[in-house]
Amino acid sequence: MTGGLDIVLQVGIWGLYAGCIYILLAIGLNLIFGVMKVVNFAHGEFLMLGAYVTFTFYAISGFNPYVLLVASVPILILIGVTIERLCFRPILGTGKLNEIFISIGLIYLIQNAAAVIWTDEYRIIHSPFESITISVFGVNLPLDYLIIIITTILILIGLYLFLRKTRLGKAMRATSQNRKGAMLMGINVEKMDMISFGIGAGLAGAAGTLWVVSGQVFTPYMGSIPAVKAFAIIIIGGLGSIPGAIVGGIILGLAENFAIFTIGGAWKDAISFLILIVVLIFKPTGLFGESAE
Amino acid sequence: MSPKVRDYGLVLMLIVAGLVPLIVGLNPYLLTVLILMLIFIIYSSAWNFLTYTGQGSLGHAAFFGLGGYGSALIASWLSLPPFAAVFIGAGAAALAGLFIGAICVRLKEWFLAMVTFGFAIIIQTLVVSRQFSGITGGWDGIAAARLMPGGGGTNLLIEYYAILVIGVMVIVIFWLILRSKTGLAFAAIRENELEARAAGINPVKYRLFAFLVSAYFSGVAGALEVHHLGYITPEIFGVDISFWPIIYSISGGLMTLAGPVVGTIAITIVWDGLQTFGLTYGRFIIIGLLLILIIIFLPKGLISLPDRIREYRDKRKK
Amino acid sequence: MKRVFVILAVLFIGLVLFAGCTENQAAVGSPQKLKIGVVASMTGPASTTGKDVWQSAVLAADEINAAGGVYVKELGKNVTIELVQGDDESTREGGQKAVSKLITQDNVDLLVGGFSSAVVSAHESTVADYSVPYIVSGASSPIITHRTDVKTDTVFHHAPTTDDSGGQTTLFIDDTIRPAINAKFGFPSDRPLRLSVIYQDSPYGKGQLDAIKKTIAASNLSINVISEDAFKMGESDFRTVLTSVKNADPDVVYVAAFLNEQTALVTQARRDVGLDKIFIAVECNDDPDYYSGIGRYGEYSIIQSRFSPYAVPSGPIEQSVNKFMSDFDKKWGGFPGMMGAATYEAVYIGANAVEDAGSLNKTRVNEAIGGTTMPQMVEAMKNETISFTPDFRESKFDLYMEQLIWNETAKETRPVIVWPAKLKETDFVIPDWFKPGQE
Repeated sequence: MTGGLDIVLQVGIWGLYAGCIYILLAIGLNLIFGVMKVVNFAHGEFLMLGAYVTFTFYAISGFNPYVLLVASVPILILIGVTIERLCFRPILGTGKLNEIFISIGLIYLIQNAAAVIWTDEYRIIHSPFESITISVFGVNLPLDYLIIIITTILILIGLYLFLRKTRLGKAMRATSQNRKGAMLMGINVEKMDMISFGIGAGLAGAAGTLWVVSGQVFTPYMGSIPAVKAFAIIIIGGLGSIPGAIVGGIILGLAENFAIFTIGGAWKDAISFLILIVVLIFKPTGLFGESAE
Repeated sequence: MSPKVRDYGLVLMLIVAGLVPLIVGLNPYLLTVLILMLIFIIYSSAWNFLTYTGQGSLGHAAFFGLGGYGSALIASWLSLPPFAAVFIGAGAAALAGLFIGAICVRLKEWFLAMVTFGFAIIIQTLVVSRQFSGITGGWDGIAAARLMPGGGGTNLLIEYYAILVIGVMVIVIFWLILRSKTGLAFAAIRENELEARAAGINPVKYRLFAFLVSAYFSGVAGALEVHHLGYITPEIFGVDISFWPIIYSISGGLMTLAGPVVGTIAITIVWDGLQTFGLTYGRFIIIGLLLILIIIFLPKGLISLPDRIREYRDKRKK
Repeated sequence: MKRVFVILAVLFIGLVLFAGCTENQAAVGSPQKLKIGVVASMTGPASTTGKDVWQSAVLAADEINAAGGVYVKELGKNVTIELVQGDDESTREGGQKAVSKLITQDNVDLLVGGFSSAVVSAHESTVADYSVPYIVSGASSPIITHRTDVKTDTVFHHAPTTDDSGGQTTLFIDDTIRPAINAKFGFPSDRPLRLSVIYQDSPYGKGQLDAIKKTIAASNLSINVISEDAFKMGESDFRTVLTSVKNADPDVVYVAAFLNEQTALVTQARRDVGLDKIFIAVECNDDPDYYSGIGRYGEYSIIQSRFSPYAVPSGPIEQSVNKFMSDFDKKWGGFPGMMGAATYEAVYIGANAVEDAGSLNKTRVNEAIGGTTMPQMVEAMKNETISFTPDFRESKFDLYMEQLIWNETAKETRPVIVWPAKLKETDFVIPDWFKPGQE
């Protein structure tokens, strides 16, 4: 074997890049859950829509796809807000099962609407930087991946600042910690719901742009697999916990890749769920989860 | 609803179901459609049974498929007639149900949803894995002894009635369980787990039991399908098979006995009907939309439609 | 509960009546036609192939009808072909419903199509019950005609099985790639070739892997399969697998994947992991989207094919392939695919068999199909003839290998045929950036 450490480093860096997409999805999910206590299984569809919005604008304008984050994020925020108002607000409080089932309806609706609008053929776009590579720690990293990692970090920093420093962000945090209390303090919790959903969707939309920019193939059905992984991550890490999402993401990424190395790629999806089950057996609310829900 | 009216209703339903083939004649195509529909009615009812304890599974294809594999293998190893193998083979599904149920009973709704979803994936991976593909045939699948070999109108008619009888039996069993003390316990656990515990009801025991029963009869449905088609492949564990009973049950009416029945029939008609319009993705869009609308506006499903219409009319009168 | 009964009764009757209206097709005294049922996935994940299959079938039927139809000796006249579409929805239940309707309601004389092996195996028993001739032009699993639990003597496989395609590709690797590598790098001429296989965890992928191993064993080839790695369908991140393959140090990487996966895999291999080997792609990747998606990274890679949008084997079928593609484009706009090409031929095979049999009687037509000897049409067949093997009723294709060469005008790679000898346009070349596995 040539350079065991070399391989670990390589795989680690791939993991980091792939993790960016999952982290954006997972944090969006956690944000929505934190404020609304609602879980949207159709979250992967926001990722997919973000990808297609980017593609459409790219096809029309030919702008550098990174710039198109300016398009995908706001559009997805709008879509997120709309879906929250039309679908989730009416059923708030009618039971968790309803949330799960309405998400399934949304998945069918959005995936197939996308297939009608854009056809279900495989699509791919090429980033203008795709052939440039940079040497990082001796590994040949495509420039795109570096930009993606940096962009993700920037987005996360922006989110952090928003939640900590702005009035709106603080109001959202207050709502997620104590909804009744926040209401008593005069915070419009329904507005918070809408905004959190919108931001969550926007984050997923950004992930969609980054997905597309890295030259990955996309179809109307591409959202399901990353979404399921993001769910597994936030369950493992604990619902509503941001550090948990990051730790969960790292665990999952490592575990998946090691599984491929050892027991074979056929187990890649199954391994995520096996880990999920094992974690839940020992800690039914996830690693960092709150014990009373 | 008084028991007498309900009983009349049930008897009349049976008569209709029994008479349908006389309207349809020995038409093999229609009988095939009806048989597949009956199988899914059993499957949806079994899935729906689990929701009485507040558990919504997204991976019931695991049980449907395991019942199929179990039955196909038992029938071939022990040379059993398929109608017998179905009830033994579904035991494989029940065992799996026990296993995954034990894990799930302590979990909140959507953790359970994820775990059951993942379970179906794990089962499929196991079935095609090198270790088990010797028995299961891996991706090639295995043949299953047919319920009525030879096909054709008369055979399909017999199949139809046999499956109808099984279906009625299954629903009766559910009905009996639900009106017993167990059913009351289910409701108590579903409504308020803390109070149920305080009253001395152990939710774990009842949840597990519900899982066992739900898994077993899902396996029966799966086995019936596999013996009807004559072949089983790992695609039976697919997500679409997990989602159909959900769609059917919600459309008809969650947590009612009639709901899955009505829902399966209604959605099947809508689905096949839309096909004549040549819609491809449109059908899925409509189903998705229907699901969303029903959950928001008609949460008790289609069977509550007459009541809602009546309420609406009463309101307008005022 | 009473209301529930009312709803149920209404629904049951509604279902029956509704389904009944589709029943009244065959009016008494209608002119005799050759009815061919086309089993295609018009909806569901495989709908692009379904469209391809249906459109090609229509093209064939229209051509035959325009030329006067099919002569049936028993009736003493020409009959026209009527195609009936059966959407299998890519599900086992959908397939059985569709086939049951085609056979018992639409009373088709024969069936063509059939894509997914899982779906076909679920309705095969129905086909066997009624002994309807079925020319399967899509599915690739050999199981279809090898089953022993039902009669498959009316099922004909007019599509290369994974045994065929995997087998032929393996032969090519042994007789062309291996000596080329050994010659170029001065290895001893008996050095076995180091092969890594990356396959989709599905019937198709597994079938390819099995075929490779079977062929190596059966023909005693000098190839070592040094690694086998599976991946889940729809996967988009192959870097770990590729890193592992790089470690195993192969000469050639055989990939059994669909277009979206193949594009990602080869790009990541060449660009990210630095795996500079010869990559082999399976036939379903021979599609314009692949050439545009793979860019420069696909240079010098190999695709096994039998029908290509860009490479037309010169020689006997060149003209008919060009005509087929331009007729298809005129009628439907766009390219036909392989499944379409095979279905187009299947319709002709069926029509031809009816003429041979001189009757629409299914048993006689079935025998006639079994005895088919037609000149090849738009796909190269072994011995330039379309015929079915006596044991498992499979037709044998002359599959060819293409190498992708950069085309400056198109700014994409384009395929050129490098094997077999009688179809090849140029020799197989090993690129300069290629690094062989260890000696």
